[in-house]
Amino acid sequence: MSKEYDITLKISRYDPDTDQSWIQDYELRVGGILRFVDLFRKINDEQDATLAWSSSCEHAQCGTCGMRINGKPLLSCELLVEMAVEMFRTNVFKVEPLTIAPVIRDLVVDLERAYARVHAAKPYLISPASPNPQGDEFRIQPRVLDRYVEATRCINCFCCATACVTQKNYLGPNAMLVNIVRLMDPRETAKKERLDILYGEQGSPRCRTAQACSFVCPKEIDIAHFIALAKEGAIG
Amino acid sequence: MTNTLKIDSVLRPEVLVIGAGGAGLRCAAAICENRPGTSVVAVTKVHSPQKSHTSTAQGGMAAVDPNDPMDKIVYHMFDTWKGSDCSADQNIIKKVCESAWEQIVWLERHGMHFSRTEQGRIAKRPFGGHMLNFGQVKAFRACYEADRTGKGIMDTVWGETLKYGITFLNQSIAVELLFDNDRCIGAVVFLEQSGKFVVILAKATIMATGGKTRMYQVSTNCKQNTGDGLALVLQAGLPVMDVEAVQFHPTGIVGPGILASEALRGEGAVLRNAEGEPFMERYAPTARDLAPRDLISRCIMKEIREGRGCIHRDHKLPHVWLDLRHIPEHVHKTRIQEVCGFFRKFVGVDPQHELCPVTPTAHYQMGGVPTNEFGEVQRNAQQIVQGLYACGEFAAASLHGHNRLGTNSLLELITMGKVVGDKIAEYIKDADLPPESPPEGTGCEIFSRFSRYFEARGKESYAIIRDELRQTMMEKVGVFRTGTGLSETIDKLTELKSRAGQMQLHSRSLVMNQELVQFWELDHLLEVSMVIAQCALARKESRGGHYREDYPERDPEFHHHTLAFMREYGNVNLDKRPIDMSIYEAKGEHYEKFGIIERKY
Ligand SMILES: Cc1cc2nc3c(=O)[nH]c(=O)nc-3n(C[C@H](O)[C@H](O)[C@H](O)COP(=O)(O)OP(=O)(O)OC[C@H]3O[C@@H](n4cnc5c(N)ncnc54)[C@H](O)[C@@H]3O)c2cc1C
Ligand code: SF4
Repeated sequence: MSKEYDITLKISRYDPDTDQSWIQDYELRVGGILRFVDLFRKINDEQDATLAWSSSCEHAQCGTCGMRINGKPLLSCELLVEMAVEMFRTNVFKVEPLTIAPVIRDLVVDLERAYARVHAAKPYLISPASPNPQGDEFRIQPRVLDRYVEATRCINCFCCATACVTQKNYLGPNAMLVNIVRLMDPRETAKKERLDILYGEQGSPRCRTAQACSFVCPKEIDIAHFIALAKEGAIG
Repeated sequence: MTNTLKIDSVLRPEVLVIGAGGAGLRCAAAICENRPGTSVVAVTKVHSPQKSHTSTAQGGMAAVDPNDPMDKIVYHMFDTWKGSDCSADQNIIKKVCESAWEQIVWLERHGMHFSRTEQGRIAKRPFGGHMLNFGQVKAFRACYEADRTGKGIMDTVWGETLKYGITFLNQSIAVELLFDNDRCIGAVVFLEQSGKFVVILAKATIMATGGKTRMYQVSTNCKQNTGDGLALVLQAGLPVMDVEAVQFHPTGIVGPGILASEALRGEGAVLRNAEGEPFMERYAPTARDLAPRDLISRCIMKEIREGRGCIHRDHKLPHVWLDLRHIPEHVHKTRIQEVCGFFRKFVGVDPQHELCPVTPTAHYQMGGVPTNEFGEVQRNAQQIVQGLYACGEFAAASLHGHNRLGTNSLLELITMGKVVGDKIAEYIKDADLPPESPPEGTGCEIFSRFSRYFEARGKESYAIIRDELRQTMMEKVGVFRTGTGLSETIDKLTELKSRAGQMQLHSRSLVMNQELVQFWELDHLLEVSMVIAQCALARKESRGGHYREDYPERDPEFHHHTLAFMREYGNVNLDKRPIDMSIYEAKGEHYEKFGIIERKY
């Protein structure tokens, strides 16, 4: 049986109707195996139905529930209470929205604004190589795929972009990956356009190699490694 | 009333896509490929199309590779027919299985990152119910991207539609369908972020709102899968089909019910009971752990009922074990990396060294809104609704009948998505424009619902009603069903609905008011559950995912689809649609395999 914990959540609230912000404390007694999304649901059910927060799949595959807990950007659906207590060595948690886009209400941010950077990096093959003459799929050797497959696992949760030391005029780590994957993908022929995005004004020159992105990524993608490869021209 | 509910603006694209998941966007991409420049608006409840539930699909997508010397399309067609317990439509089976490989290649050419063989070709793995030689040995037929196949599809179709410049309205909810006489002309959409209502008038409307199993206590489905699409269709007086056919996936991770893909068993994982016995050998000597899902779910429940299950130490829930310890480390690390991570994160188990606790979880709706083979929504067995289309999990054409085989759903999204897109591209060429202004009464249905929520006073709790609903559905309309349990459920649902009228909102805002949307969703869950329970009560036989303990056999009298209408809560009218048996009737090679066959694995 997992332990019960007495915890306090200090949640950042924002009401768009009155344009007011405040911090609200919620005290809870909960089992250690509950996830933070379960805590928010519990608050909605038992204490405060007006607290707004986002999630969808609730098993770390969609990247909707990103937020900052005691300053660390993470997916609240995969943070269990017992893990949080151990990781932060406290029972008091500051809960804040991600910083990459304006807040709509409480913990809900306007992800659409954040996604604009991903769109700018063109998350598709701009110009696919001509089809295989045999009429079926392209051949991609596993060792070629292995070089960039980790980077394809990104779910655009924007935790890395929140942790990044460059907050202005930068595509951000995840949008950089969108571009890098296609630079490494043998099926993309628009390499010139991709390189322009990579080295452009909002691209790699903005990265200050702090590696915060790799440190926080819930998918444990070594984003900094890919960006470093790209800077060195060691991809493609 | 503090809020005035009104239509804020009107949009007039050529095509409206309700639900920007894998199916909706594959369909939109096909429309744009046929007619570049078509104006398309796609709405989704989630924050970005990429967050749609398709992204979470793990295991793979079935397709017979023409280069495969062993596999044949007819085997895939047979498996699908047998898997459906003889209630899928054979015209659909044929269409989907025959176009499967072409659609895999389409995805690959548009950038999907399929896992590869040493030769650089798309890799394939076995999956439940997919076999060679009409059910003899397991087939390698599921094309996959590690255990992220759905994400691969979602990213690809989203990228393509982005490239074509279609308009997305995110966190936007379709709340009412609009008709001009009998023709569908669009929908009213509620923008959660601004609290505004917009009317979208289009020549063609596609519904692709996905699954609905959030009315079950344990479910793999995302929070947004609350049966909205089905409820909107019912509210418009249109039928839903075979909704009693709900799939319970055998291996949900105990507790939250998160899916542990069949791909694990495809890679060699074995189910064991408390005594360590690999019990599937007893029930399905040939297919064993790769028997179809309905069958395995029942076997697990039987093991638990007969005292050979375990109780989870934290969640206090019964379960059996999934054993992955003998699977090589490199497979754990490269092909089933995400799922193994779920066990570590959510139940603290290391699948490489420990047994994993699993239990059946509500997963998929085989039924949905009835369509013909072009995705045109049907008003009854003979007539279609002009201008209204459906595809994906939401639609029942029906490829799956009463039980779906794993990997056939993703396949359906991309094959039928394309078929429906082609059809719509054709239709909008000559179709009349919708009327200049929204028809009289636009918004009435949704405004009266929202007003009711705003005005309701009472002490009933949303959370309690939601939980009672989920418990009742899980216990009485789950893997096993009985006439008595179903009748009790219907009474319970009536009670819950009336109690739901006495829930009071805590905020009167329209902007990002999640409680308001939850009230609306709860109404849908109650409505759709009522139809499921009544259809399940009426089908006095067992077929696929619908298992009646009081009628444990399949009965020829029920060899038909069930159409259900519900204009008024609880008042369900049933009708029938014949099952298409065109492969059998054509009397071609192997036709005898497509008759009413025995279902043994
Ligand atoms: C965990 C999991 C794993 C799976 N693995 C596999 C697999 O390996 N192989 C396989 O074949 N199948 C698998 N399936 C099944 C398959 O993934 C789904 O059936 C399929 O992805 C559904 O796609 P869809 O496009 O129909 O719906 P979805 O992808 O769910 O999209 C529905 C869209 O509709 C939107 N929507 C819903 N209601 C409204 C509304 N009222 N207004 C506006 N928008 C709305 C949603 O926001 C979303 O954008 C899996 C399912 C799950 C849950
Ligand atoms: S790279 Fe990692 S942290 Fe950044 S958006 Fe992708 S998954 Fe999230």
